Amino acid sequence: MKLMSVHGFKIIGRFALTVLMVSPALAHDPVFGLGPHVLFKGGVEIAPQVLSEESQDGRETEAGVELTYGLTGDWAAGIELAYVDKSGNSDNSGFGDIRLFTKYRFWRRDSLGVQQSASLLAKVKFDTNAGGVPPLGSGSTDGMFGLAYGYESRKWYRWASARYRINGENSRGLQRGNKLFIDLVGGIRLKPTAYDEPDTVWMLELNGEYSERSGMKGVSVPNSGGTEWFISPGVFWTLRNFAVKAGVQIPVASDLNGVQLETDYRARLVLEWHL
Amino acid sequence: MKKLIAYTLWALLAMTASMNAWAECTHYEMRVDGLACPYCAYGIEKKLSAIDGVQNLDVDLENGLVSVDVSDGVVLSEADMRQLFNDAGFTYRSMNTRAVNHDEATVQ
Repeated sequence: MKLMSVHGFKIIGRFALTVLMVSPALAHDPVFGLGPHVLFKGGVEIAPQVLSEESQDGRETEAGVELTYGLTGDWAAGIELAYVDKSGNSDNSGFGDIRLFTKYRFWRRDSLGVQQSASLLAKVKFDTNAGGVPPLGSGSTDGMFGLAYGYESRKWYRWASARYRINGENSRGLQRGNKLFIDLVGGIRLKPTAYDEPDTVWMLELNGEYSERSGMKGVSVPNSGGTEWFISPGVFWTLRNFAVKAGVQIPVASDLNGVQLETDYRARLVLEWHL
Repeated sequence: MKKLIAYTLWALLAMTASMNAWAECTHYEMRVDGLACPYCAYGIEKKLSAIDGVQNLDVDLENGLVSVDVSDGVVLSEADMRQLFNDAGFTYRSMNTRAVNHDEATVQ
């Protein structure tokens, strides 16, 4: 049992890093949290991005691209492809898991200079990574569902969202605990700008992550699961159909079960084109 | 006689040029709700620009106004605009139109 815990701890420690791009980029959505934005009908979004996470176990960097298509004015679908680099006690790099997602805005209320909306997100991550040790993916097919609300005005922004990730079992019998993400985000545009001017929105996110305990072949892994809270300052800069989104996620509270490695920080940089 | 023909041709030429200069187009000013950020409004530019004869697009975010000039013979109907703005992710409310001459339309 002790061996399994230790073994489980190592596995969980490594897989915990593989949670990076958990929300599509999509326009004025928060950097780490989920927002209700979709894409105009027939529109294409290309979003190359880099996400890096550092913990006591090492560093994981994902360089990926996200392609999104606007099926209607309220419904978008896309794909995420990533190249993963892991360094620490042992190194590995290669193509990560492929993710497909779709987002549907089921409610929208517009008034002068203000848009409120709510969307549903569904996402599937397939076990398609290049393999090797440490693993470049979770080793399982995972699904995620999310609900997001957003208020956007010429000056103030606020978002609230919840996402629940259902993790599959990998080939070694590890069932990672399912995970709940809660996000509360505020944003401000200090200087209202015209349509053709560069525009900046500053954001501050509170991101909570609660993970259930994992199981190995039916046995609970003690050193798994728990809660982490992050404060994440970020910025969203745009010029017409081009955007840069960046933020840093800093842990502020942690209640992890047993002995686990805590996250030092996460950083995300996204470039976005709407075509 | 030759002079008369020459003056007549010159007058016709001048009239034609003058008519072209004063060819009319229509200025549309549309009230649109939900315009909070310039980046999100790009879908409007993309969709309106795809219509033949549409030019001089302007988006006034503060007042929720989208305006374009449209060549003579092209009509933007309320139903089409309601659909277009909905596809772009916004809500069309109303429109005002007025005829403008070519020079006025292009100098903006």
